[in-house]
Amino acid sequence: MTTSALADLRRPDEERFGAKSALLGELIAGEVPVPPGFAISSEAYLAAVEGLELEGRGPEKCARAIRELPVPEDLRGEIAERYEELASAAGEPRAAVAVRSSAIGEDSEEATFAGQQETYLWVRGADGICAAMRDCWASLYSAEAVTYRAEMAAEHAVPAMGVTVQLMVDAAVSGVMFTCNPVSGDPSTIAVNASWGLGLAVVGGEVTPDEYRVSKVTREVLSRSIGPKEVEYVPDPSGSGAARSEVPHDRRDAACLGEAQLAALVDVGRRVEDHFGAHQDIEWAIARDASGPDGLGELFMLQARPVTTKPSERAEPGTPRSAMDRVWSTFGATGAARR
Amino acid sequence: MATATSEIGAFPSPFSIETPAGCEGWEEMYPYWALFDERRREADENRLWFWNSMHFPLPMPAFDMCEVDVPYFTFAGWQNRAFAVPPAMGVDYRVVNGYVYISPNPVTDPDLIAERAEFFQKRAGYYFENWDELYVKWREKMQALNREVEAIDVPDLPQYEPDEVLFTDRKLSNVELLEAYRRTIHCLELMWQHHFEFLLLGYGAYLTFAEFCREALPDIPDQHISQMVAGVDVDLFRADEELRRLARLAIESDVAGAFREGRSPDQIEAELGESDAGRKWLEELEAVKDPWFNMGTGDGLYHYYGSWNDDPRIPYQSLTGHIAALQAGEQIDRPTEEVIAERDRIAAEYAALLDAEARPTFEQLLGLSRKVFPYVEEHKFYCDYWFQSRFFNKVREFGALLAEHGFLEDAEDVFQLDRREVLEVLEELALTWATGGQPLGPDRWPPIVARRKELLEKLEEWTPPPALGAMPEAVNDPMVVMLWGVTKERLQQWARTQDGGGAELGGYAASPGEIEGIARVVRSLEQLDEVRAGEILVCTITSPAWAPIFSKIRATVTDIGGIMSHAAIVSREYGLPAVVGTGTATSTIKTGQRIKVDGSTGVVQILDSNGAS
Repeated sequence: MTTSALADLRRPDEERFGAKSALLGELIAGEVPVPPGFAISSEAYLAAVEGLELEGRGPEKCARAIRELPVPEDLRGEIAERYEELASAAGEPRAAVAVRSSAIGEDSEEATFAGQQETYLWVRGADGICAAMRDCWASLYSAEAVTYRAEMAAEHAVPAMGVTVQLMVDAAVSGVMFTCNPVSGDPSTIAVNASWGLGLAVVGGEVTPDEYRVSKVTREVLSRSIGPKEVEYVPDPSGSGAARSEVPHDRRDAACLGEAQLAALVDVGRRVEDHFGAHQDIEWAIARDASGPDGLGELFMLQARPVTTKPSERAEPGTPRSAMDRVWSTFGATGAARR
Repeated sequence: MATATSEIGAFPSPFSIETPAGCEGWEEMYPYWALFDERRREADENRLWFWNSMHFPLPMPAFDMCEVDVPYFTFAGWQNRAFAVPPAMGVDYRVVNGYVYISPNPVTDPDLIAERAEFFQKRAGYYFENWDELYVKWREKMQALNREVEAIDVPDLPQYEPDEVLFTDRKLSNVELLEAYRRTIHCLELMWQHHFEFLLLGYGAYLTFAEFCREALPDIPDQHISQMVAGVDVDLFRADEELRRLARLAIESDVAGAFREGRSPDQIEAELGESDAGRKWLEELEAVKDPWFNMGTGDGLYHYYGSWNDDPRIPYQSLTGHIAALQAGEQIDRPTEEVIAERDRIAAEYAALLDAEARPTFEQLLGLSRKVFPYVEEHKFYCDYWFQSRFFNKVREFGALLAEHGFLEDAEDVFQLDRREVLEVLEELALTWATGGQPLGPDRWPPIVARRKELLEKLEEWTPPPALGAMPEAVNDPMVVMLWGVTKERLQQWARTQDGGGAELGGYAASPGEIEGIARVVRSLEQLDEVRAGEILVCTITSPAWAPIFSKIRATVTDIGGIMSHAAIVSREYGLPAVVGTGTATSTIKTGQRIKVDGSTGVVQILDSNGAS
C-alpha cells in the first residue's frame, strides 16, 4: 500500500510518509481532534517519477514534467478508494479536502523545508486530489527547494515527498496557540491568537488577531485583547480554493472566542503538549456550524510543532535556588553563613 | 511613565496639613512622641507616611492610642531587636488630626544588614524548625492570657476593708485596684508581644512562596497563590460554622419560628424561653459562646468594636439568615471538602507544570506556607477578637468604678482618657477614697471628656490623604507590601487619584469575578446594617467577623489592604469578587452609585456619576 489512513501513522512512519502525515498520526494517537484523512507515501512519488530522468534537467522542466505525469492507475485507484471512504464518512460525496505536501528529510522538527510547504484548499474528487498531489510533488523543484537542498547538501540524494489529504475544515475561527507564555515562558498559561475565517490570515500576519491568555489550571481567561480583524479567508464562491474577503465592520472588533472555546483549546493544547512532552505551537480551527452555539462547531488541530524559541532566562545569576534560601532572601538575610 | 521630578513631593508635607475648623488643640489627646514636631521636621518631611486606614480608619480616642503605641513597640521589638530582620527595624507612627500615619524604618548599611542576618537566620530558623510545637504552646499561652485578663478583679472600694486584709495579709483595696489596672495594661502588652511573635515569620514565609510563584509562573493570578495556601479548617471560621449548626438545630427542634427578620435578640430569646425545645436550644447556644462568641464585630483596635458576646445582633442576624436559607432549601454549609479539593488540585497542577528544578522548591515553599498560615489566620481570633473584647470590657469596669465615684459621667468616658491618665485618676481615687478628702477629678475630667468627644466627631468628617511626605524610591519592607498593599505602583496611583483622578480606581485583584451593582459606602460599624442585599460593599477595611454581611453583598472594595487582608481572605472564602487597596474608594465612590468591580484585574469603575446618599 502506498497510502495509509492518518490514524494508522506514527513517528517512525515519517521516513515514508513525511513529517506532516506522521505528526497528524501522532496527534490522533494522543486523542487530539484532527480532521480525518489519509497520507500518500513518498514511494508513490518515486514510482511515478521513475523513468522521468529528472537528473540533470533544470528545475522548471522537472516541475513541469512532474505536473504532466500520468498518475499510475493503481495509485489513482487507491486514492479514489480512500477519498470515497472519507467523503462517505463525512456524508458528502464530493467533500472538499485539503492537500498538503508532507516533506521528508532531516530537521523535520524545524519544519522549515523551504518551498516545500504547499497547501491546496477545497480540492474535490479523486482527480482533483491527483492534480494537487502532482503540484505538491512538483514543488520539490521550486527554486527555493532546489537552493535549499544545494545549501544543505541534503543527505536524501534523491528528493522525495509524501502528501497529506484531509477533510477540509470550513473554519469560522482559526488561529494559533502556544502551550506556554511565549514571552515569559510561564508553563501555566496558554497564549491564543485567533481571527475570523481560515488560518491564513493569522499565520500570514495579515490581521492583528485577538490575543487571549488562559490559565491551564482553572481555564480562567487571564487577559484578552481584541484585535481589529479586517480580513478573513473564506471558501471561494467557485467551490474550490480560498478567497480573501473584508470582514464586515460589526464583526471586526468582536471577540471571536468565548470562554467555552478557550477552555476547549486549553484542554486540547494540554493533550498535545502531554503527548509530545514539550511545549507546542499549534495551529487550530473551529468549523462553521450553523446549528452550533454562536455558529461554531467542532474544534480541530491542524498542525503542531515544539516551541523553539527559548523563554528568557528566568533566574538572574546569584538568585538563591533552595526554598530556605529564598525565605532568607525575603527577609533580606542573604549572605550570612548558616547551613 | 512619570518623570522622577514630577514624583517628588507628590504627597503633601505632613507639616502642611491644616487643623479642621473647631479642632484646635486635638494634639493634647495624643502622646507627645506621636506628633509631627519641628525638631524632627527635616527627617519627617523626607520620608513617606501613609495612612494606616486598614487598622485605624477612624480618629483615635485617647485611650485607644494604647492600640497604636503598644503594637508598634512590640512589633519593632520583635522585628528589630529580637529577630533582627536584616533590612527592617520597625515602623514609626505619627498622628495627624487624629489619624494614624506610619512609615517603615529601613536598615541600609550593608555591614549592619550582614550582621543582623546572622542573628536572624539563627533565630528565625529555630521558629521555622519547631513551628508546630511552638504554635501549640502559643495557643495555650494566648488562651491563658485571655482568661487572665477576663479574671482580673476590679475591687470595689468598701466603707471598711474586710477582715482578710488584716488577718490573712490581703492587699488594701486601693493597692489592689492600681495593681489590677496595671495588670490589665500589662496583659495588653503581653498580647501584642504574642501577636507579633509568629506574624513576621508567617507572612514572610507566605510572601516567599508568593514571590516564587510570580517568578516561576509569571502569569499566575494572585488569588491562585493565596488559594493554594489558605487554611480551610481554622479557628477563625469556627464561629460561623457553629452558627450554621445552631441554625440546623433550630429547624430540627422546631423552634425556627422564633427567628424572624427584624426581631431583636431579646425578642427571639424571650420566645425561645417559652418552650422546652427553645430552652434546650438556648443551652446549646450558651455552650458555644465560650470561646466562639469572642468573635469581633470589628477588627478589634477600637474600644467600641466589641464581640458577639457584647452585640448579639450580629450572630442573631446571621442565624436568622441561615435559617431562612435552609427553609428555602438552600445549602448553607461551607463547601469545605470542595474548597480543599480545589486547593489541592490547583497546587498539584501548578507543581506538575513546573520543571524538575523548580518543582521541589515550589513544593517546599508551599509546605512551609501551609504550615505557618493557620497562625496568620487564627491569631486574629485569639488576639484581635477574643483578647481585645475582654480587655476593653475590663477597662470598662474601671470606667464604671470611676463613674460611680463621680470622676466620669459615664463608664464609657474612660476611653476618652489616655491609659496614663486613667492611672492618674485611679491614683487620685485611691487617695481620696482612703482619706475621704475632696477629689479634684470630678471637676477636672468631665469637661475634658466632652471636648474630646466633640473633637473626635469633627475629626471624623475630615478625609485623610492616603500618604504624606516624599515618594520613596522603592518599598522594600515585605510586611508593608503584604499587609497594606503599599507598593511603588500603588503610591503612584494614589498620587494620580489625589490630582483629580477619574471614574476608575485601581487596586489589588483579591478575589476573582466581575460584578456590576450599587455601591454602599460603609465607614464605620454602625453603618453596617444599612447594607442591603445585593449591594457592593465599599469600605475602608472589613473584618471576617462581619460574616452576615458577606452573605448579603455581591462584591467588596476596600481602601487599603493587600491580598492577605481580611477582606481578601473572606471574599475568596465566599466566592465574591474583591478589589482591595484602592486608596480612595470610600472617598471617591458614593452610596447609590452603580459601579463595576473586576476582582480578576483589580479595577473598579464608577458607571454613573449620581449617588443618592
